[in-house]
This record gives sequence, structure tokens and C-alpha cells, in this order.
Amino acid sequence: MTISAALPRLHRRFQAAGFRSRRRSFLASRLFDVGVVLLGVSFLVFLMIRLIPGDAVAIMLGANAEVTPERIAEITTRLGLDQPIFVQYWRWLGGALTGDLGVSLWTRRPVVDEILGHMGPTLLLAALALVVGVGLAVPLGVVMAKLRGRGWDVALRIGSVIGLTIPSFWFGIMLIFVAAAVAPDAQLLGYESFLADPLANLTRLLLPAFALALPILANLARLLRSAMLDALQQDYIRTARAKGASETSILFKHALRNALIPFVTSVGIMTGYLLSGAIVVEQVFAIPGVGRLILGAIAERNYPLLQGAILVVTAMFVLVNLAVDLLYAAIDPRVRR
Amino acid sequence: MAQRGITALALALAIASAGMARAQVMELAVDASPAGLDPHIITAFTSFQIVNGTIYEGLTQIDKDLRTTPALAQSWEISPDGRTYVFKLRPNATFHTGASVEAADVVASLNRVMSKDIASPLASRLAAVETTSARDATTVEVVLKEPSAPFLSALAGIAIVPRSFEANKDALQRQPVGTGPYKFKEWQPNGFILLEKHAGYWNADMPKLAGVKFNIVPESATRQAGLASGTYAALPNIDASTALQLKGRSNVKIAETLELAYSLVGMNAAKPPFDNPKVREALNYALNRTEIIQAALFGAGGPAGPLSPALKDWAVDMKEFPCYAHSATKARDLLKAAGVATPLEVTVLVLPRQDIKDIAQVVQAQLNAAGFKVELKFPELGQFIQDWRNSNFTAFVSTNAGSTDPDDYFYRTFRSGGSTNVFKYANPQLDQLLDDARRELDTGKRRTAYNKAQSILACEGPIAHVAYGQLFTAMRANVQGFDILANRSLTALGRVSLAK
Repeated sequence: MTISAALPRLHRRFQAAGFRSRRRSFLASRLFDVGVVLLGVSFLVFLMIRLIPGDAVAIMLGANAEVTPERIAEITTRLGLDQPIFVQYWRWLGGALTGDLGVSLWTRRPVVDEILGHMGPTLLLAALALVVGVGLAVPLGVVMAKLRGRGWDVALRIGSVIGLTIPSFWFGIMLIFVAAAVAPDAQLLGYESFLADPLANLTRLLLPAFALALPILANLARLLRSAMLDALQQDYIRTARAKGASETSILFKHALRNALIPFVTSVGIMTGYLLSGAIVVEQVFAIPGVGRLILGAIAERNYPLLQGAILVVTAMFVLVNLAVDLLYAAIDPRVRR
Repeated sequence: MAQRGITALALALAIASAGMARAQVMELAVDASPAGLDPHIITAFTSFQIVNGTIYEGLTQIDKDLRTTPALAQSWEISPDGRTYVFKLRPNATFHTGASVEAADVVASLNRVMSKDIASPLASRLAAVETTSARDATTVEVVLKEPSAPFLSALAGIAIVPRSFEANKDALQRQPVGTGPYKFKEWQPNGFILLEKHAGYWNADMPKLAGVKFNIVPESATRQAGLASGTYAALPNIDASTALQLKGRSNVKIAETLELAYSLVGMNAAKPPFDNPKVREALNYALNRTEIIQAALFGAGGPAGPLSPALKDWAVDMKEFPCYAHSATKARDLLKAAGVATPLEVTVLVLPRQDIKDIAQVVQAQLNAAGFKVELKFPELGQFIQDWRNSNFTAFVSTNAGSTDPDDYFYRTFRSGGSTNVFKYANPQLDQLLDDARRELDTGKRRTAYNKAQSILACEGPIAHVAYGQLFTAMRANVQGFDILANRSLTALGRVSLAK
């Protein structure tokens, strides 16, 4: 789970460099890991998009256009794409370290502005999906544990397996068809800016948030069920029963509280996955978020935009993981060793 | 408590005003983001359909019947030798900045397109231009090197922009400034492009709407559901299967017209086996176009020769092309006469688009039944474009946009050395016909030349024209005046209104 597991040697060398306080060393080594991951990802993305056949200029100019070789050469030079790849990477990296991620090849706007402009919808969607996922997972998990082995438990467990395996793009399209058939006049589609119309924004994000939340919901509900079953086996539950506590109190006050500890950790990790899931869901529901920015950038071979967007999403993912690690370390000192 | 009340009231007012503003703005859903908005640089259709005739205008424009009519130029005179054009500008035309449109702006715009520095893909349309000058504030003189019949229709595609942009390569891509009925308001990449009414538009009757919003919605199901629920007022340029699914819905109407764009089988005339005209002819005989249209295009569209029947003044009836009558036997005979071994193995690249893939599969079956052995290849779009541009193919199945003037389409596509003659086709007789027709201002004589050109191209040309598609636009019942143009242009948006 932790990034350091993948980089033990670097990690040890870094730790040997003379950090006295264990806690400081732990934080510093985790931050070092973050840096290494971002550097590695940026280089991989840089390389991979250039390995896809078809270059940016060819796609920019299209197949049916009247395009002169001069124009192709002019654009290639202007965009710096005639330079060797390592020179391009070095230039890009130099800019990135000072916060300049370059300009989008197509719109000529700074990549940072493009990403910031697309960040709002993605964060709103992920937050709403998290609320839906967690909000539904808790009662479902408790119900499944309570009704263990009975019909509802079996049905919900089968449902959660289906929820885990259904691809979100397919589920999203099905949701659109069902919504269009059941409530044809409801304004559930199309994206509306939160600032322009908060209510419309939230109603239109409901379907995509549900599509995005489904696998997480299924995962968390199953996880909570097993954590609850674990908790219900413990001695303190028997003690509480012996002392005459009600079933509701046992379930929610005693068992759920303890079962929530592993659950909360997973929620942290899932938050990172929501960001990657958002790519597909944003495409299906036409939400102008970072996910669509990335898909568009791939299709357009918009190198600087793609590099910047992937870097930012990776940074978010890694930082969420880091926060989870730190929280974990704060709870359980053994992790810091 | 009081503060909360005020906040709630403010919120309610904001929601209500947002609702009112939306009511006057027509929402469209299109499938892809534009690549930029500079009219002299863009090549992608997604950009073209958003800016052409809405934000920008040329001296002339193409009307519903594909004829050239006045736009920013109120009138023009042509000298008897056909080389000097004098355009009189509309005195009340203004840019979106409020500045008047002057002859100097027109001169700067034409020079911008012709400049090497801008490297505009439209430059070839002005290849005939020798000099441009402003006689006075509202009179422009253009002298041509030689008479050019397609010059006026070519001008419809050359947007007039303020002269301050003459050397600027970037600014118009993001912040377009034109003279059209709508002015640019906001572009949220991957989200929408919002245009608002140009209040000082020279035609006081236009536009009728407060604005037009192009929502970028890549998923077809989302566009359809959005139209059905009224989120979007129109889906321009949809494919036949989407149109079929939307047909019959209450509140939705479908407008259709035959379009200039067509599907085709392209052949490399410089490489065996298609360097042999008999093999190209055989391929034409092997195709059963009606069957392809039924099987792959839901019956929408029609078989036709090198020019779309939408070009009523120019297109020759396909019945006059013998090779358009399907005959597998005749195809086999021609292959035998060409001296190639059968089955003739051919690799065919396919443009990665669903309708084209469907067409390619039917084409494959038909060719295989007539002495060919076809292998289809489905490269990724970027790769397809690169192979296409470098003539790195034996044959391909794709789609092509056509043009409103035969010269604009034929010259670049089929003339030796033409800018999109990726087929490496060279036919001196055809070259002569195209050169003559380009210089000829007499429509009757031009037609004779193009009739001959079409009969040469239909059977032994490097393109087997498969089908001209039916162009569909779905709209809500309250949309009025949204004429569908065969060239896919959305210029009609200037005249559209929404009934209550």
C-alpha cells in the first residue's frame, strides 16, 4: 500500500542521510517518495504519448484539410516538437519545477489555467460520489452484517459483486437511458456551473456521481460487512450483551464504531481511485472536468496538456495516499518503524 | 437569521435570472471540442462549424441553394478581362469591437491568408490573387493573375478580421473577433462555447436569439437524452442511426438534406495494382452502392458520381457512368484484362469511425466476390491521417468533405500535384480540363469541361465514390428557421428563433 514498499533501497539510503527524529524522517522520506513518483510518472507519460502513432501536428491539421508541408514544418518548429525528446523533456521539467507547465498546443492557454479551469467539476463530482458511496455503504454494510446468511444479505452481496464488476461507462449510459425513459422532462443531463446555478449543478451531478460511486459503494459495503462481523465476534460485544445492552446499541454503538477504523482508512484510499474513475464518467456525462481534459489531450496528442494534467492527478492521488499513511502512522506507531 | 434570509433571497434571484438568461440562448450539443477559433488557421470541422457564419463572415456567402451571394460586400464589379474585382463594402458593417469594417481590414485579412508567416491552409484559395488594395474606406480592389471562376465562392470561406490581427498567430484562436451575427463570449474547454448577440450587426433583423451555446457532449446517448429532455434545443449534423432513434419522439423534429460529403474508396494510383486504370475500373464495377447504403447507412443517402447531386448546377447523373452499374463478372473480366493474378490481394486502411467501418466491411465482401482478396486494417486516427498524408496506402475507405464549387474540390484532389492529391493521380487530359475550367467565366463552357472531367473520374479516377450521405439535424419542435446546409455549415443560426 505504501509507496516506500516499492522503493526500499532509495528509502534506506535517504534515511541513512542523517535524520535524527524518527517522525521527521518518516515524513521526509514519504515526501521524497512523492517526488520520485511524480518524476517517474512525468517521464513515463512523456515517453508513452510520444510512442502512440500519429503526431500532434497531423491530428491538429486533420485528414481532409489542405495542408502544405511548410505549414506542418512551421507548426512543428513553433511547438518545439522538432527537438530530440530528451531536450523536450528537460525543457518541460525545468518549467514544471517553477510551476510553468507550458501552454496547450490547441488553445494556446497556459496548461495550469486549463487544469484549474477543469478542476472544479472533478472535485465536485468526486466529493458527491464520496458522499453517495459512503452514505449508502454504511447502512448497507450494517444491514448485511446484521442479516448475515439471510436472503437480504445474500442478495446484497450478489449486488455488490455486480456493482464491483460493471464498467462505469456502461452503467452510466444505462442510467442515462433509464432517466430519459422514466423522467424525460427532468433536467438531469448536461453540466451547469455551480456558481451560475448551484441547484442545477447538483441535480445534474447526481447520476454521474452515482455511476462513479457504484464500485466504491460495493467495495466499502462488503468491507464494512466483514469488519462488522469481526467486531461482533469480539469479547466486548459478549460483555455488552451480558450487561443487557439493546441490539441497536450493540450494532451501532459498540460494533460499528470499531468496524469504522479499517473502513475510514479504505475511504481515504478510495478517494484516490475516484479521481481515476472520474475520467470515464466525465466523458459519458459530458462533465468538463480533468478527466475529459486528459481524454481530449490524448486524442489531440496535446503533449503539454496531458503531461500537466497527469502530473496534477498523480500528485493528488499520491498526496491522498500520503495523508492516509500519515494518519495511519499517527494511529499506529508500528507503521513508522 | 436575517442574514440567512437575504442570502436565500439572493440565491433565489440568481437562480431565477440564470433561468431567464438561458431561455433566450439556444443550446446545441456537438460531439467534439474545437481545435481553435482562428478562421484562417483552423482546419478541423469542429472549429469550422462553430465560427463560420456565426462569429465570422466573408465578403460573400453561400446560400441554402449553394449559390454565392453578397455578405460583407454589398456588391461587386468584374472587369471585362475577368482579372479585376471591385468590391463595395456595406457601410454599416461593424466588428464585434464596435469598429467599422473598412477596406483596409479586408486587404489585411486577404494578405493574412496569403502570408507565408501565417501559413494558412486557405492560402491556395487565393492563389490567383496578384494584388489587393483599398481604393477608399469602403472599396476594395483585387487584381488576379488570371481569370478565376471559383474566386467569388472561395471568398465566402475567407473571414474578414480586424487589420490589427494581420501578423498575430495566436490571439484569434482563443478570442475571435469577427463581423458575424454572434460575438464570442466564453469558451470553457471541453465544456462549451458561448456566443452572444452582436447588437450592431449590419442586418438589423438578425440575430433573433440572445446567444448560442455549443455544449461539447462526446457521448451520443447523452446528446440524445439531452435533446429529448429539452436540455439541448438542437443536435446538428447527427448520423443516420441517431436520427432514426430520435425520429417519432414528441417535441423532436428531424431536418434532412443531401450533403456534399461522401464516403469513398481511395486508391493509390502510383502503386500496383491501382496504378492500372483497368483495376480501378474493376473496383468500381465490383461495388454495389445501393447495397452498401442499405446495409451500412440505414438507407440514408444516395449513390452518385464525383459531384454531389446537391450541386444541382454541376453534378452529372450517375446513370451516365457505366461502371456504376454493379457487375462482379465485368469486374473479373477487367482484372483479367489488366493481367493481374486473381484473387488480387489488397490491404485497405479504414478510417476509425463507426459508419466508415460498417461501409468497409460491406465493401470487403463485395470486392471479395469480384476477384479481390481484401484485408481491412483499422489504424488509430493519428496513424490513419499520417498514412493518408504520406500516400502510405494501397487503398483506404474514408469520408471526404466536398465543396460548393467544382474547382475547389477537383483541383486540389485530382490535379497533378494538387494539395490533397494523396492518390498521386496524374492525367494530363484532366489537368487541361481543370486548368481551362478554372479560367473560364462562362458557366456553360465551365459545365461542359466539368462534365467531361466527371466522366473521366467516375470510372478510372483514384476515388470510387460510394455514397453521398443524408445530413440530419435533430431539433426541438420550437426551433424555427434552422435551415440545414449541404456543406454542414451552421450559418442559419443567424436566422434561427425559438417559439415560446
